[in-house]
Amino acid sequence: MSLASALNIAQSALGSVSRQTSIVSRNVTNAGDSDYHRREAALVSTAPGLRATEIRRAADELLLRRNLSATSAWSGQSALRDGLERLSLNIHGVDGGASVATALGKLSEALQTFASSPSNRTLATNAVEAGRAAVGALNTGAQAVQTIRAEADAGISTAVGELRGLLEEFGRANDEVVLGAKVGRDVSDALDQRDAALKKIAALVPVSTFTRAGNDAVIMTADGATLFETVPREISFAPTAVFTPGAAGNAVLIDGVPLKGGPNASGQIAGLIELRDGAALGVERQLDEMARLMIAAFRETDQTGSGLPDRAGLFGWSGGPALPPAGTLQPGLAGAIRLNAAFDAGAGGDPLRLRDGGANGAAYNANPAGNASFSALLIRYGDRMEEPVAVDARAGLAGPVSASAYSAAAIGWFEAARARATDGAATTEALMVRTGEALSNATGVNVDHEMSLLLDLEHAYEASARLIKAVDEMLAALLAMVR
Amino acid sequence: MKISQTSTLSLSQNLRLSLLRTQNELSAAQVEVTTGRLADRGLALGARSSLSVTLARDLERVRNITDTNALAKSRLAATQNALGDLGSRAQGFLSTLTAGVGGDAGPSVLGGDARATLEMMTAVLNSALNGEYLFAGINTDVEPLTPWKPGSPAKTGFDAAFVARFGFPPGDPAASGISKADMQGFLASVEPQFLGAGWADWSAASDAPIQSRIALNETAPTSVSANADPIRKLAMAASTVSELMAGALGPGAREAVVERAVALVSEAIAGLGQLQSDAGISQKRVSEATLRLEAQADLFERHIGKLEGVDPYEASTRVSQLMDQIEMSYTLTARLGELSLMRFLR
Repeated sequence: MSLASALNIAQSALGSVSRQTSIVSRNVTNAGDSDYHRREAALVSTAPGLRATEIRRAADELLLRRNLSATSAWSGQSALRDGLERLSLNIHGVDGGASVATALGKLSEALQTFASSPSNRTLATNAVEAGRAAVGALNTGAQAVQTIRAEADAGISTAVGELRGLLEEFGRANDEVVLGAKVGRDVSDALDQRDAALKKIAALVPVSTFTRAGNDAVIMTADGATLFETVPREISFAPTAVFTPGAAGNAVLIDGVPLKGGPNASGQIAGLIELRDGAALGVERQLDEMARLMIAAFRETDQTGSGLPDRAGLFGWSGGPALPPAGTLQPGLAGAIRLNAAFDAGAGGDPLRLRDGGANGAAYNANPAGNASFSALLIRYGDRMEEPVAVDARAGLAGPVSASAYSAAAIGWFEAARARATDGAATTEALMVRTGEALSNATGVNVDHEMSLLLDLEHAYEASARLIKAVDEMLAALLAMVR
Repeated sequence: MKISQTSTLSLSQNLRLSLLRTQNELSAAQVEVTTGRLADRGLALGARSSLSVTLARDLERVRNITDTNALAKSRLAATQNALGDLGSRAQGFLSTLTAGVGGDAGPSVLGGDARATLEMMTAVLNSALNGEYLFAGINTDVEPLTPWKPGSPAKTGFDAAFVARFGFPPGDPAASGISKADMQGFLASVEPQFLGAGWADWSAASDAPIQSRIALNETAPTSVSANADPIRKLAMAASTVSELMAGALGPGAREAVVERAVALVSEAIAGLGQLQSDAGISQKRVSEATLRLEAQADLFERHIGKLEGVDPYEASTRVSQLMDQIEMSYTLTARLGELSLMRFLR
């Protein structure tokens, strides 16, 4: 041992302290970055007294994985919830004020009021206007469903583009990690970037990852399709410009495997697929069934006994004057239902046809004598709205059920889906926040901790400097003796 | 040495997130306190929303039918009154006729009373309520009864039948020669003009009464038609007496007319009583249905309250609790912001 080696050691200590200080300063700078993982300086002995500083990155694979799956679940459920909330506002209005169920209730009241004084033309007009409001509710609903489906489709398209970009980003970071590991470079920053990209990918699709030799990562979807292996895999999606009523949209293919929706959809894309092809399509089918039940409830029947077929009455549609086939879903009917012009005073019709019938010719007139207080037909319409009939099970509601009960049941069906999605979003949000917090605690920076480290480093630096000074003095004393 | 730590980021984020959550809850609770109902019904009820929609709609329908029942009720009450008036008029006419049989009232008295009865009948049966003729059946926009006067189809038909039978009008001096049996035969032959198809000359009313929905699934007739049998009988008695008493009939023929009229009016009085009690039954059905509807409405309201209502005390307690929490959270945020090693390192 010599004074020279003491000087050497002190010098290397100074170097190590300054490197550690730089790490502390990096940690403090990035304390607010949720993607940043805390770096730690680890001292490694190389020779007696000599130390090299190695950078270690705090990581917790298990917590990260849990956080990723919670993020996927939350973003899927919240995308679904947000879509359903918009849909609810568009088709039901505030507190259900604009719903078909409300419009049918008003129609049935207007009919009853009219039936109590059938000679009153104002009440007839009032009942026909209530019918127009019901048609309006159905048309608006069908339109709103189309809009939501188109929006969801556009959202899927955007998310797919985003996913492609993120996979590119992931690929670049992954290349850097693999290369850095080979040449022994510090890859902490690349790892941070890779994890950050992975978190964003997980918000779009549920993922599982594993790492191969050289820290090379592979991403699979929860269904088992490969998203990334050395290079990003092919993700294909063709947006739909105009949705045909009743038809599902195009699938998102990841490496040839279609991504699935479902009420428990995980990941934003799956949530949007469920909104587009699950909930919104169900609502659309139910609106179509409501339109069919309404047309049927207000049908006109042959009064002459000559066996003429039933015809559409107050409510017409594109396929009229025949009735839509009973018990069978007619896609697009909610958008095609119209108020029959024969009843519409504004279009040259006569609202009193509601009382008498006969919009399809004299054979369908139930009141040929033109009696002013003829109420039988009006009462029959009211009864038919409450009469259970067969419905198509494809729309998600079981029959037989009446037109007015169907419209209420549809609200129940929808609210159940919305409540499920909201509940799912709330629970997964809690899980996401909790795992995110745990992950941040495990890998994040605590500024106070860094400050106390800085104090230690200050002391170490002072001690080393003091040592150098002491050795310097000793050497000076030695040289002075020699002189 | 590695100990579990808390990252600075999660420390500050936690406070922020929990504050946001509490504020969301507060806004919902505020709505519940002010409205007394769930802030988001659909979310809270889920699949049971359909029940809430159905109840609200049924409540509105029940109230609507209660309103329309009021109209049926007033129509029935007016009908009841009119039938009562007709009954007492028929009673008065019957006593005049009975006096006529005993010889206490002369032909001119009988004729005058018959004309009064006819006029009164026409006025009562042509009365209207809310723009609808009460006794017109469902043909409520046409006056049901054509007044009996020279030139009216019913009178023309009757006069023609008389002339066809005897060869001269009732006012002709030759009429004094009509025997009691002849007159009885004539009266029997003109009966269809009143009690049969000929009534159409008198009345534009339809046989069918107005049908009204008086409960969610119950309909009832709520009017009486001028075509009812007792009304026709009374009309026949009054019109034959008024026509034939003014003529030059002999005592035998007059006796035949008055006897037939007494029989007809007696039957009419019994029949009118029956009509009144039928209308009374309808009245009772309507008022009972209204009572039932009101009970139903109460029940629906209670159900809706149970389903959608919130306890205002509970909700307001929740509001003050949440406000406390938020205040605490503010204080904590401020205190934690000051809590930093940096402050002590100067």
